[in-house]
Order: sequence, then structure tokens, then C-alpha cells
Amino acid sequence: MKKIDRRTFLNHARDMLCFTGASLLFPASIWARQKSPDISVVKGDIKSSVKKAVNMLGGMGRFVKPGNRVVIKPNMSFASGPERASNTHPEVVRTLAEMCMQAGAGRVLVLDNPLAPPRQCIENSGIAAACSSLGKDMVYAVTDPSRFAGADISGGKSLKRADVMKEVLNSDVLIAAPVAKSHSSAGVSLSMKGMMGLISNRRIMHRLDLHESITDLASLLTAQLTVIDATRVLSTGGPGGPGKVLTPDTIIASADMVAADAYAVSAFNWYGKRYDPDQIRHIRLAHQRGLGRMDIGNLKIGKTSV
Amino acid sequence: MRFRRTAQAAVLSIFLLVLAMAGNIEGSDLFLRMDPVLVSAVALAARTLSWIFIPALIVLLSAPVFGRIFCGYLCPMGTTIDAADACFPTRTGPDKSRHPVSPYLKYYILAFTAGTSLLGVTFVFWASPLSLITRFYGLVVYPVVLLISDTAVSAFYPLASSLDLRTLMFAEIPTPRYAAQFFVLLFFVAVFAAARLSPRFWCRYICPSGALLGLAAKKPLIRRQVDSNCNQCGICAQKCPMGAIDPEMPEKTSHSECLACRKCAQICPQQAIIFGPNPAKNTYITDSALPGRRRFLLSGLAGAGTAAIALTGLDVVAKDESKKGVVRQARLIRPPGALPEPGFLAACVRCGQCMAACPTNTLQPIWFEAGLLGMFSPAVIPRRKYCDPSCNVCGQVCPTGAITEIDATERVWAKIGTAVIFRQQCLAWEYKKSCMVCDEVCPYDAVEFEKRPDLPHPVPHVIEDKCSGCGHCEHACPVYNQAAIVVTPMNSLRLRPRESFEHTAKSRGFNLQLRPEKQGPSYPGRERRDTGAPGSNGLPPGFDKGL
Repeated sequence: MKKIDRRTFLNHARDMLCFTGASLLFPASIWARQKSPDISVVKGDIKSSVKKAVNMLGGMGRFVKPGNRVVIKPNMSFASGPERASNTHPEVVRTLAEMCMQAGAGRVLVLDNPLAPPRQCIENSGIAAACSSLGKDMVYAVTDPSRFAGADISGGKSLKRADVMKEVLNSDVLIAAPVAKSHSSAGVSLSMKGMMGLISNRRIMHRLDLHESITDLASLLTAQLTVIDATRVLSTGGPGGPGKVLTPDTIIASADMVAADAYAVSAFNWYGKRYDPDQIRHIRLAHQRGLGRMDIGNLKIGKTSV
Repeated sequence: MRFRRTAQAAVLSIFLLVLAMAGNIEGSDLFLRMDPVLVSAVALAARTLSWIFIPALIVLLSAPVFGRIFCGYLCPMGTTIDAADACFPTRTGPDKSRHPVSPYLKYYILAFTAGTSLLGVTFVFWASPLSLITRFYGLVVYPVVLLISDTAVSAFYPLASSLDLRTLMFAEIPTPRYAAQFFVLLFFVAVFAAARLSPRFWCRYICPSGALLGLAAKKPLIRRQVDSNCNQCGICAQKCPMGAIDPEMPEKTSHSECLACRKCAQICPQQAIIFGPNPAKNTYITDSALPGRRRFLLSGLAGAGTAAIALTGLDVVAKDESKKGVVRQARLIRPPGALPEPGFLAACVRCGQCMAACPTNTLQPIWFEAGLLGMFSPAVIPRRKYCDPSCNVCGQVCPTGAITEIDATERVWAKIGTAVIFRQQCLAWEYKKSCMVCDEVCPYDAVEFEKRPDLPHPVPHVIEDKCSGCGHCEHACPVYNQAAIVVTPMNSLRLRPRESFEHTAKSRGFNLQLRPEKQGPSYPGRERRDTGAPGSNGLPPGFDKGL
């Protein structure tokens, strides 16, 4: 074996130190992000699709650190079952909650401020039952105004202040888990529109400029992770249905709410036709304000099936 | 004494528990139906005889046997007044047994009540103890108790949140709100403050049910008797809360006043007083405790006269509804199943149990909206909350049948009014904004949206025949203060007992159907509108041309 002299060893050592030091200047996420897509799209069985979609983005550990308090915001505003496609599929919510717990979350809550009677919503949607095996008392429909606290929306153009669920303000991580559906006023109801379910007087937004307010609210309540349930898509008759339900069996995930919503708009037929993401004004406004990107043509999209 | 206190506390607790659970349990109106004046006034005014008489009849029959034990041991009003008396003790005078007002007053009030009832008008809600006390606890005390509980739960929220006690964190105690509650309160402040004049002032001088029981208890089987050990010390007469003992001759008792509380027997230094069935022994009854016939009749006439005056009021829909000249209230919506207005006003005793039990808190006591005769009667206030088309709790808890119990299959047909749109207030009509909330929440699909060329967004119309007046739309209308869609009493179905709502509604051309798939707010018929375009651009709702 060839011996190296002291000088050569020191040179090698210096080079290695420099290389390691330089690499430490970059956050580790750079490496992860280079590998993971901006939007992951997975087709197949619900549970595996959700897992795969989140894992493609770098795994739940990228979003949820040990001890974090997590709020998952599904759609459970209607007292109807999964077949109607007006609520998020219980299996999507359950899988996400389970992944959060496996990532070491300190606490996982599934919250919504429903339109229909609260108990009927969490029961008929199947979400309470699906999550019951994961831990006691995880799913709550919160309506009492005392459980909300005022929060200013700096830079809000239409909605300047909102009463937000205190548990959301107290949490570290917000995960949007909407079902993909049409909406009679907002065009589509996806992750951004879904944030209306975390504020107290959601109807006030109808009196304001609805699209502008949705964008304002998304700037305050920005989900770190968005997982859109497009296993079924309510393509007409939303948000409550009944309407035409498509079954693309797809899960869309992204760290960018706007990108996830934009992809969902472009990927499915709405009212029997294809539309571009910029045809939904709140998506367009969010893009223009820099909350996220709707130019999905320029984004890295990872597609797969399980 | 201890037995009486225990009995009173137990009965009051049961009364309060039953009231708190009204609507969830059967027979929550039992206490109300024990009130002899309440029941007989309704029977007289509404001209009905039914099984609702029975509990009151039992109470009335107890008087000739046991005396006024109902007043002394059972009546929740009496117990409450006893408690108030303990808080505001009567000012000690030289002679507490003296009457500050005539003890005959309650008999005159009884005669007055009977006089009004004969003309089909009821004022019994001002005097029936069970009506008053149910209203007091149900509409004044109960909401405050819930408010305090809710405040306590909210105050614990930060602690619960940090300890992750989720049941406490998300516990929501809905606090009901009521109109006119200060008028109920004021009345009771007066009743309680009267304790300064004498203990049990209400029971001694005002209560017509006490008067009726007093008439029946003139000479009860089991009654106060004084034996020969009595040395005429007169302590019993001084301590008697009802002033039923003659201070000059303590062996004399006015049994019509006596509650059989047995305080006298306990404090008698000679132990000369017993309560028992021994009519052979000498008992002395002062019959001067009963009023003269002439004054009694005069009071009845005064009642009838007052009723006659009330019937000539502009806003009174009493007696004959078909009579011309009655000005109907524009916004007074009665609960589903309420009898035709004259019968309703005659039968409703304003106990407030329907309002206390109403799950959505939409039922509210009114003050003068329906005239003097309509005071404290229930009305649906949709702005507070809608009237649930599947709910009939008010009919189930009503003690007199003023609100009838509707068969479950008929309930959706019980139309209580019709919604009307105020276009000047409407976001879509006047402010040209996109709003479909009234349609979203309507469980009957009675709101239709129309696309007009002159307006940017579809505008609502009410389909009258499909509207039940439930008030979902008015409740949810996002326009502040004056809603842009309001329920009016127009075309409400006010039927007699056992008439069919479905049959009547159909015969009038109404088509009241809940969408079976509709649970809570939904979007019926939206597909038809959605495939069309709200704008001239041919795009679905909420979409635009894009960049």
C-alpha cells in the first residue's frame, strides 16, 4: 500500500474540509428539492396514492417536524357521504393524519367550520369514524365564535381581518386537504377557497369581492402542504352537490397551494370542458401577488401510478 | 319542617330538570297541567274539555283532604318565593300576622280571570303560578346559567388547549337568547320584593290558584287542631307565614289560608297543636276568610268587561277571525301547528316552555306586537335562527295544545309563512354582486335564480307555493340588519286539531317537499343553471376569460 506523505495528506484534508464546509452553506432542502417535483400527481388506490404523492415531495418529514402541532383542513361542510364528492374522502384525511403522527407530530387535529349542522357533518362525511382508530378526539367541527380570534391580513385588498380558529393560530403546520369540486360563486373550490372553513363568519366574504377575499385569506392561512383529493371530482353542482361526479382516482400534492389548485383546474373537465388555471380569478390574483405559481407549464410535475 | 324543605327542594329540582330537558323527554308539561287555574282558564276560554284536566283535577281534589299542600310542598313558585323570603326577610313589625292588603284580593283575581275566560280571552298568564314560574326559569334563569357555563368553558380554553384536553377545548354550550326577558324579570322582582310586606305575599294575596285551592280547602279532612293545653300565648299566630291564625284566638284557623306547613306545631311551647284527621274534635274555622258574594261577582264582571274592551282593540285577532276590520300583524309568524289565532290566544298560557325547548331558539316571546292579549306569546324570529322543517318540539311540549303536535309525515306541510324578497336590499338585485345564499340554504328549493340581461349576476325569486316560511333564507341572508329576504305570515296554515296539513296544503295548491338528498345547505337544481352561463361569455359560474 502506497504511503502518502504529510503534505499530500494535509492537502487532501484541506480540500475535503473546504468541500464539506461549502456544502454546509446550502440548506439541506436544496438537495431534496432538486430531486422532488413541485407538484406530484398520483393515480391509484387512495391510501397508497396519498402516501406516494407526499413522499414524492420529500416525505411528511419535510413538512412536519417532531413535536409539531398540525391542523388538517379537509372539506367536511356537508352532511353527505363520499359518493357526493362535496366532502374530502375520509381515507385521504385518515392517511394524512397517520403520516403526520408517524412523522412525530405532537398533535394532529382535523378541523372545519361547517355549513350544515356540525355533528351531522363530521359523522355523515365518515371523517370522524375514519380517524377514530388513530387517536381519540381528533376531528372537530368548530362553530362557536369564542373559539376564533381576530387576525389582521396585512396586504389584504378586500378582506383585511378575519376571525381565525384559535387552534389554527396555535398550530405549527397547516395541511390543506380539499376535495376537488366546482363552486357556484368561486368557480372551483380547492385549497385556497377551502380556507374559508377556518374562519368564523365565512359568509361575510360573499359581500366582499369573493375572489379577492379568497386570495387575501390564502395569504394569511397558507398551507405548508396541499393534498387535493381528486379521487372523485364534483365537476358540476358544487359546492354541495348533487352534481356530475368524475372519478379520476387521483391525488395532487404540492408545497404550493396555488400550483396545486392550478393543476387541479387544468387537469379535469369542469362543466364538461377544459379550462386554464388563469380563468379562475382567485388563482390568477394569487399568482400575481406572488403567493404561488399558476404557470404549471414551467413547474416540475411528477406523475405516477400506484 | 325539615321534611317540607326537603320535599320542596326535591320537587323544585325535578321541575327544573324537566324544564331543562323539555323536548327531549315525555311529559315535560306535567307541572303546568297541575295548575288548577291555568287548566280551568284554558278550558273556559278555549271551550275545550280534555285529558289535560286530570293532573289539575287531582291537585284540586287533594285540597278538601289535605288542605293547600300543593302550595306548601309542591308548587315551584311557592318554593321559589320561600327562597326569596329567606333573602329578603319581612321587616319585623309589632304584629306580623296583620294583613298589609286584604286576603280576599286573590279571590277577586280568580273571579276576574274567570270573567275574562268566559269571553274567550285569557289573562291567566299574569296570574297562573306555573305559567309564571316556567317562564321565569325557562326564559330568564336558564339562559343565564348556560351563559355562565359557556363563559367558564371559554375561560378554561387556554388551559385546555395547552393541556390538550380536547373535549373541553371544543366544548360548545349554546346560549339561548330571549326577547322581553326584562319584563318577565321585573315582574318577579316585584313578587320577590313583596316579601318585605309579608312572607309569601304572592301566595297570600295574589295567586288565583291558591284562591281556588283555598275554596276547596275550606274545611279539609286533615287540618290544624289545637287542644286544651293551649294557653293563648299567640306565638303561632305571629310565626304563621300565611297569617292563617287568629292572633286573638290562636285555636282558630283559616284553613283556606293554611299551607299545612306545620310551623305552628313545631314552635308551640305547649305542644298543643296537631295536624290530623279528627273532625270529631272541636276545630274552629273562621269563615270570614272568604269574600262576600257581591264583590266576587263584581270582580268577575270587571274581568268580563276588560275582556270586552280588549276584543274591540284594533290589533286583536281574538274571537272571530272572519270578522272584518282586524289589522293583522305584518311580521308575526306563529310556530308550526299553532291553532287559528283566536283559539291560539285563548289556549296559550305563555308559559314559555315552547321557547325554552326550541332547539334553534327561533321561538321568542313577543311583547306588544300582537296587542295586550298577545303578550309573551311565541313567535318565530328567523333572523335568530330558522324553524327546522323536521322539528316539532314546540308542539310536543305545549301543555294546552295551543301548538298542536304534528304527525311526523305531515310536518313538512305545516307552512308558517312565505318568504318575500326586498329587492332594494338584495346583493344580487341592487348591488349587482354574485350571491346565492338564500338558494343555497333553502331546504324546500323554493328560491329560483334568474339570469337577466340587465344584471351581471343571477337574481333570486321566491316560488311561493314551494316556500314553507321556515326562514332558512332570512336567517342566512348576508345583508346586515334588515335582511333582503324575509318571512311574512302570508298563507300560513293555521289548522284545528286533527286537520291534515298535507291535505289542506295540497288543496290550496302548495307543493311543500324537502329534497330527499338535501341535508343542510345544498345546491339543488344548480346543474340546470350551471351549464348555462351567468355572464354573456358562455363560461360556467365563477370562471372568466382569464389573462
